[in-house]
Amino acid sequence: MTRSDELLGRAKGGATVEFRQVSKHYARSANGQPIAAVRDLSLVVQPGEICVLVGPSGCGKTTSLKMVNRLIEPTSGQILIDGVDVMTVDPVALRRRIGYVIQQVGLFPHRTIAENIATVPELVGWPKAKIRARVDELIALVGLDPASYRDRYPSQLSGGERQRIGVARAMAIEPPLMLMDEPFGAVDPIVRERLQNEFLDLQRRLGLTVLFVTHDIDEAIKLGTRVAVFEQGGTIAQYSPPAELLMRPATDYVARFVGSDRALKRLAVMRLADLRLSPVSSAGEGPVFSAETNVRDALAALLLAPRAAGTVVDSSGVPIGVVTMETIASAVQPVAASLE
Amino acid sequence: MTLLGAVWAWLTNSVHWQGSDGIPTRIAEHLWISGVSVFIALVVALPLGLLIGHTNRGALVTVSIMNVGRALPSLAFLAFALPASFALNLGLGFWPTVIALVPLAIPLMLVNTYAAIRGVDPDLVEAARGMGMRELEVLGKVEVPVALPLIIAGIRNAAVTVVATATLGALVAGGGLGRYIVDGLARQDYARLLAGAILVALLSITTEVAFAVIERLVVSPGLRLDRERLALPDAGGAR
Ligand SMILES: Nc1ncnc2c1ncn2[C@@H]1O[C@H](COP(=O)(O)OP(=O)(O)O)[C@@H](O)[C@H]1O
Ligand SMILES: [Mg+2]
Repeated sequence: MTRSDELLGRAKGGATVEFRQVSKHYARSANGQPIAAVRDLSLVVQPGEICVLVGPSGCGKTTSLKMVNRLIEPTSGQILIDGVDVMTVDPVALRRRIGYVIQQVGLFPHRTIAENIATVPELVGWPKAKIRARVDELIALVGLDPASYRDRYPSQLSGGERQRIGVARAMAIEPPLMLMDEPFGAVDPIVRERLQNEFLDLQRRLGLTVLFVTHDIDEAIKLGTRVAVFEQGGTIAQYSPPAELLMRPATDYVARFVGSDRALKRLAVMRLADLRLSPVSSAGEGPVFSAETNVRDALAALLLAPRAAGTVVDSSGVPIGVVTMETIASAVQPVAASLE
Repeated sequence: MTLLGAVWAWLTNSVHWQGSDGIPTRIAEHLWISGVSVFIALVVALPLGLLIGHTNRGALVTVSIMNVGRALPSLAFLAFALPASFALNLGLGFWPTVIALVPLAIPLMLVNTYAAIRGVDPDLVEAARGMGMRELEVLGKVEVPVALPLIIAGIRNAAVTVVATATLGALVAGGGLGRYIVDGLARQDYARLLAGAILVALLSITTEVAFAVIERLVVSPGLRLDRERLALPDAGGAR
């Protein structure tokens, strides 16, 4: 019947999203001149990836996101989900298959937590028993206790709890694609950190494809499989994995945007296991690190260690190498390292 | 003191509680006139208010017309209603009163309903639409339930105004509690007049209370909690 049956129709795994030269102009009423919110945007998001759109306010991130579920229609270009042009799909059917989370969360104040989460399952006509089971599953999935939360109203929740329920609601029918517009923007840094970690965990387990909007470069680097850095006027300055972004910013603008501390940020996205470690010596002393420790934390510990060297062990505690200041420096200075 | 005593005597006189001019009959007439008027106004104002609230189209024109309507005194409506009723062959009493009361109630309900829907947090509407609700679902499942306290407040406001104003019906030979006032005045029976006025006031208050009960029954507790939470700091700061 409708294209939506084939689009996003399969049960598991993430969708592929492709922007093909997408532009959006808003008519300016003042002088009648149209202004471009998004200009000639092309990018591909592979299944199971988190694509983060990052950039200063007003550079077209939200507009780009909303064109995927047709809350905004592009002026030109195409957006394909699993190869199907979204403009050929009934918008209502399309939206029911795409999870959508906004910063203000938008939980319905007149509905209980269970009713909020059940919104899309109800719209698509799931049987009551299935909805009930799914609601409890989802509340637990986002780390809350179903028995004590399902009958509460949003006003009885803290900011962080509301964000969790917002994510649970968007995941209700296991959408292969989630659109998230600054979903953790309204909570304090400690809660945000926890929500980010839990979300990463959840996303990896479910293999969802996520388009994630933020203005926070640290959040982009932490969550993104790939990061699209937007410039004012709705163009992409660089689209690369976070490590690449930090190591080789494509333009001055990107370099400035990622910050002068980009070497330190880069360390935070690397694990000790990623480094070229020195061989284990008999005198392998100093602090002991798990191979999964991020390099930034290891560096912080080394700065306080007496000999500026530490032993790296694998998950079973067997030493696999020694990490020194030099090891770390050569990792962030790839050119220098290759000359040696 | 003597007048109050006379009013009391009048109200407690069992003769006044019987027959076609008895208090129960007059209250029933009063409620019937008011109820029919409120119902007709509701049928017109509610869908229109929801429509222009949801689409925000034609709002300026509609609200302007409504504000002109609100500026007219009820007595003027009654003056217009009389010839209209005659022209439609509806006679004296009941219908002229209803025809005068309906345009009184419509603006109160319509403007409130419109404003209530417009006042719903746009993020909620966007979340609803983004999750795949159709326009009618957005209206029915989100906008109306969230705006309900204000919509009901508008209906209550209109109903109380109608109950109070239905008194005028007696001027055009209608029934209702206005009879006591008009007749009391004509006969210089001030006990009757005042008793009528007191009964109208009591009926208005009862209407008010009835709507408070209705609101409590139909508005989601989630919204009440929301409001109580919002009202808390205000209560401390304002006083
Ligand atoms: N409905 C609209 N009408 C006109 N201009 C708009 C509209 N929505 C957004 N814009 C403009 O488009 C640009 C991009 O907005 P947006 O996508 O919301 O940016 P971001 O999410 O990156 O902050 C901004 O300059 C904004 O003012
Ligand atoms: Mg935005």
